[in-house]
Amino acid sequence: MPSIDKAIEQITGVRSDLEAALDPTEPDGVYRDSRECAALALLSADTKLLLSPPTPRPKKG
Amino acid sequence: MEQSGTSTLLQGAVQDIASDVVSALRGGDHVRMSGTGAADDPEGHFALAAVRVLGADLLLPHVLFPTPPAPEALAVFRNTVEAFPPRADAAPTVRWSHWAMRRTLSRFDASSSGPLAGDEDAEPDAAWLDAATWQVLTHQLAVLAPLAVPGDDCAVARAARRRPVDVARGFVRAVRRRDWQQAAGAGRWLTLTEGVPDELGLEAGLDFVELMGGNDPRVALQVQAARVMRAAGALV
Repeated sequence: MPSIDKAIEQITGVRSDLEAALDPTEPDGVYRDSRECAALALLSADTKLLLSPPTPRPKKG
Repeated sequence: MEQSGTSTLLQGAVQDIASDVVSALRGGDHVRMSGTGAADDPEGHFALAAVRVLGADLLLPHVLFPTPPAPEALAVFRNTVEAFPPRADAAPTVRWSHWAMRRTLSRFDASSSGPLAGDEDAEPDAAWLDAATWQVLTHQLAVLAPLAVPGDDCAVARAARRRPVDVARGFVRAVRRRDWQQAAGAGRWLTLTEGVPDELGLEAGLDFVELMGGNDPRVALQVQAARVMRAAGALV
């Protein structure tokens, strides 16, 4: 009964993907570049906190 | 990170539904529901899974404006709640997102006072948020952004209200990390929270999040939800 097997496989796969989607781990951060900082500056001249220097990236290795 | 085919399809389905919700939030219209079927066939099960991921936000336009949802949308929502109860060992976010759906269902569906009443309506435990660092708190709150609704109190909302500066720090961190979904979810919570530092520039920050991440309908949904709540003068 390949169609039933396939259906069970699909439903099982959906369930595991669903649980991952509902309890996601935090993705790795990708830090902003200067072009985006400039865009933010244009959007909000009063905002200081978002424009403060970015946190140093952790060194790999 | 490589994703399974099912995962990619599920995410696409979630984004399609989120786009419908964004349209409804922008236009004050009903949430359209198409391509969703019964839970007992694979395609219908898949569509309901997508609704489960989006959670209570499926009916958010009807909560915020407020208008009754279309019967088809309400039926899909009810089927989803019934099809995906949290397992006994489910993570807190899974329990809370399901609780949020049940709360929304009870708002619109008089018949939900039957099978969903009783112990199932008790709030899940939220103690893990009190012990969380500000980074973890913000991440978890963003995952549970559908609970950020004006006038709807719960333990998660109280945890957010107790730590406005921590959530503001988390918002900034998410922006710096380019985690637009987390930033948008945190921004939605901050819109409902008193004591947010003025220096944060929340409104401009949310504009920036939309500019950078608004192509993702799930990001656009959170930003638009925050805008609608702000326009309504919402501070819980």
